[in-house]
Amino acid sequence: MDFSVFEPAVSGAKELFSIEKKNVKEALTKLKNFDFANADYGKILHDFIYGKPHEERRLGDLYEDRTCLYKHREWRGIKDTFYYFNNIWLYNYIMAVKDIVTSDEPLAVLKGFWRYRWLGQGYMSVLHWFDRGLEGERGLGLRASAWHYRAMVCETIRQFSRLCAADSKLHNGQRNELWYKTFAHDETVAGAIFYPWRDRADDVPLQMVPYFVTVHVNANAVLSYIDAIQSIGLPGDPCPMCQAESGIFVLDDYPDYSPFLVTSNEACDASVSTSITTDWFFNRPLFAMPQPMQFDDPLVQKYCRKEIENCWKFIEEQTGMPFNKDEFLKHIKAFNEITEFEHEKWEVSAKTDYYPVNGVAQALYRIYSSQVGDRHQWHEIDAHVRKIMTKAVQNKINPYPKARHRVLAWSCAPMFYSFWCTWAYNCWGLKTVINMDSLMFDIIVRTDTEDHLMEDFTKFNEWAPMRRMAVGGYKHIFECWENYERFNCDMIMMYDQIQCKGMTGIHGMFEDEFRNRGIPACWMPHALDDRRPVTRAEIRNAINEYMSTVMKEEPLDPTLLEFDDEASW
Amino acid sequence: MKDLKHLIYFENLLQEANNELVKQAKSEGKKALGYTCYFMPEALLDIDGCFSVRLRAPGCTSPDMATYYMSGRTCIYARSLLERALEGGYNFLDAQMATETCTGTCRFQEHLQMMDIIDNPDFFCEFTDVPFKKNETSIEHFTDQLQYHVLDQLKEHFGIDTSDEALLKAIELHNEVSSLITEIGSYRKKKKPTITGYEFQVIQLVSLTCPKYLILPYLRETAKELKTRKPDTKLNYRIKVVCTGSENDDPEFTKLIEGCGALVVADRYCYGSIPGREQIVVKKGEKPIHAIARHYIETSQCPRYMPQHVMRERKQFLADLVKEYGADGIIVFQNKFCEYWSYERTIDTIVMPRDFGIPVCSIEKEYINGASGQLRTRFQAFVESVELKKLQEGA
Repeated sequence: MDFSVFEPAVSGAKELFSIEKKNVKEALTKLKNFDFANADYGKILHDFIYGKPHEERRLGDLYEDRTCLYKHREWRGIKDTFYYFNNIWLYNYIMAVKDIVTSDEPLAVLKGFWRYRWLGQGYMSVLHWFDRGLEGERGLGLRASAWHYRAMVCETIRQFSRLCAADSKLHNGQRNELWYKTFAHDETVAGAIFYPWRDRADDVPLQMVPYFVTVHVNANAVLSYIDAIQSIGLPGDPCPMCQAESGIFVLDDYPDYSPFLVTSNEACDASVSTSITTDWFFNRPLFAMPQPMQFDDPLVQKYCRKEIENCWKFIEEQTGMPFNKDEFLKHIKAFNEITEFEHEKWEVSAKTDYYPVNGVAQALYRIYSSQVGDRHQWHEIDAHVRKIMTKAVQNKINPYPKARHRVLAWSCAPMFYSFWCTWAYNCWGLKTVINMDSLMFDIIVRTDTEDHLMEDFTKFNEWAPMRRMAVGGYKHIFECWENYERFNCDMIMMYDQIQCKGMTGIHGMFEDEFRNRGIPACWMPHALDDRRPVTRAEIRNAINEYMSTVMKEEPLDPTLLEFDDEASW
Repeated sequence: MKDLKHLIYFENLLQEANNELVKQAKSEGKKALGYTCYFMPEALLDIDGCFSVRLRAPGCTSPDMATYYMSGRTCIYARSLLERALEGGYNFLDAQMATETCTGTCRFQEHLQMMDIIDNPDFFCEFTDVPFKKNETSIEHFTDQLQYHVLDQLKEHFGIDTSDEALLKAIELHNEVSSLITEIGSYRKKKKPTITGYEFQVIQLVSLTCPKYLILPYLRETAKELKTRKPDTKLNYRIKVVCTGSENDDPEFTKLIEGCGALVVADRYCYGSIPGREQIVVKKGEKPIHAIARHYIETSQCPRYMPQHVMRERKQFLADLVKEYGADGIIVFQNKFCEYWSYERTIDTIVMPRDFGIPVCSIEKEYINGASGQLRTRFQAFVESVELKKLQEGA
């Protein structure tokens, strides 16, 4: 028998053992040097029960060098530590397994882990994603934010379970019934477009799990896709999101799960161009559903509406399944409830200090739920969050008592470091109140008449991510000032996505406006999903420098100022 | 070949946007309307009382002020236009008829809207939404857009007559210019072409940047001159190429290619004549504005068109051009930071040799390129490789 196959596992175990040995040794040394005679046992007991005060946590000391894996888990006090372990860590582990086991075809998902690198690399590291986003959280903030995470994981598992169950590549090239009943679309096409068929079929965005979700969970997973598309000649400067989406095709890493595809020009030139590569690689009937650029021009509404109707006609032709208006209305009404609750959340966030959701959970949950459209888990999770938020407001509990600044995060965020908000609160007391991408799809669709329905649905479709603010007329980018006031902010974190032509193309005007309006604004350079051009450490450094030199402030937790997480997920 | 009589005059006209003929038209009371993209129909802007100027920024190699506003990571063509605007080079404009067709030029034109750059109190910048598809819905939409955002604005701001009769007259003028340029360009199809790619580009560019009614006599004379022009007895090129790609209003770039032995026989790029110089046909019972909208939607070969069949037709169109013009290969180029052409170029580079057997030289370029040694090396290598291929095929 060839025992060499076990070598990686053995060396991994040895490494883990040596790390653990080192940690135990460190702990023993600490214990040995502990001053038992002069210790403040009252304080120790208090910290044990309630957790250490923010300024004494030294969260950076928990990290292993480079990987940022924890040497040991954070002690948040008895209640929160056990809540985190049982209700978040263990609960989500169990649910993540349960969701797969109860899916259409668990065996196909298992095969998918071996077939698709994004699947294994994203799924296996998901609990670490929770850890990073919820680091340092306590009380109601911990609970509400964790529910948002749970909803996103649930939806992700729904998507990849369906992808695998319908995938002909995992079924020896055979197209099963689900293949004919699954609709593929660009991740930037709103899931709401497919509501009329949700009673007979299901829609899964082509790139949402293979690319978008995966990069948030594991920043390493997409790098090979970016390299792959550049290896066939694409320059390095176009939007790296579009590069990665195209690169997945180059490496043949997309499931084959649908008879057709709906694409979109949303959000930018590179997205349009991605349709070109998608067509050449995917090679099946494709409907390009354009969204007008100058979307606030009253004249474009008729055109946009007609193209939506053309898209529906295309789906009917491709599937032979007629449009079901009742189904459409059902989901529209249901999603209106989601948006209404989102408005309530924004109201609390804007007008009080009792909003129990952290910056990263707020941003990712809203972008995910509104892009995918009505799904049962959003309603379930919103019910949990409503309870927590009501408790916070009624009892006037501030879940983020160390917030020094209320931050508006504007433009497109770094996907490989979406949890920077958690770090920024822990380190500097920066509370991200709202993110630009949360504000998309912000419309309650009227359902009283056919005309109102289509009029609002057309706008809903136009108010997609990036299009709503970043491209489609500079007036919308400058809604920044309006939202700065609306959410009572006192600082702006201005994302500088170095490969976004739309946003870099108006960089100077922002500089001028920040100066003229006297708004403290920190520029955060990044390359969206590519962690290499600007690393997380460089992002932190940009914020550190701004906070210490411009704002002249001291960090709340100095151990978080500098650390190496180059090899982390 | 004998020098073209007006070539130096044409070259001089291209030295600045506010050239001699533009000044003359302005002094005659005409309104100067700037634009950047093929999707803004020049035929509309050349309506009586106005004239179109497709914006260029000749000689702009270091757009420093514009880089502050647009960063160093956006299309250098767009930045060069903003730089020229900030320098005061477009103060002669009465209006900018803008299109949000690519991000770079959109941002440039938004700066014209936002900042008080153009030194003209009556100046305005109006955006037109341009569809992404070639279908009836798009044509209807584009017709409405052009009516409201171009014609109605011209009438409101300048009191221009935008009646059907006035439009028909503008179409007539456009068709005459187009027919002359097409005739001049047709000499590139000859076995021994009697016009170089450089000369043709200069002529095409003056037709885009000068008032049509003023450049027309020169074009007529040049077309007449070319009827009798004889090719050199000894060929001064080694291969013929079709050029395709993003924005190119730099004749020195064509000169560079031709200096390496590749005669440019077809220009399928932004500011080129293919498409651009086709006749606008008004069908029986059709409104002229509809005919213009239909013409530009149907003739454009822009990579922003997304429908599947259109994406595929673009490749066939290129292959047909190579055949029609007797070319040996294609040079596909892209201005750095142009996202549309980044992808189109990548796919062209794979598909054209693989599916059509046509050699492709694929390059990324700056706005001003005349002195690029690196590009020279690339073109020389391409010419040699095509020659070698021809030799091998001959053997």
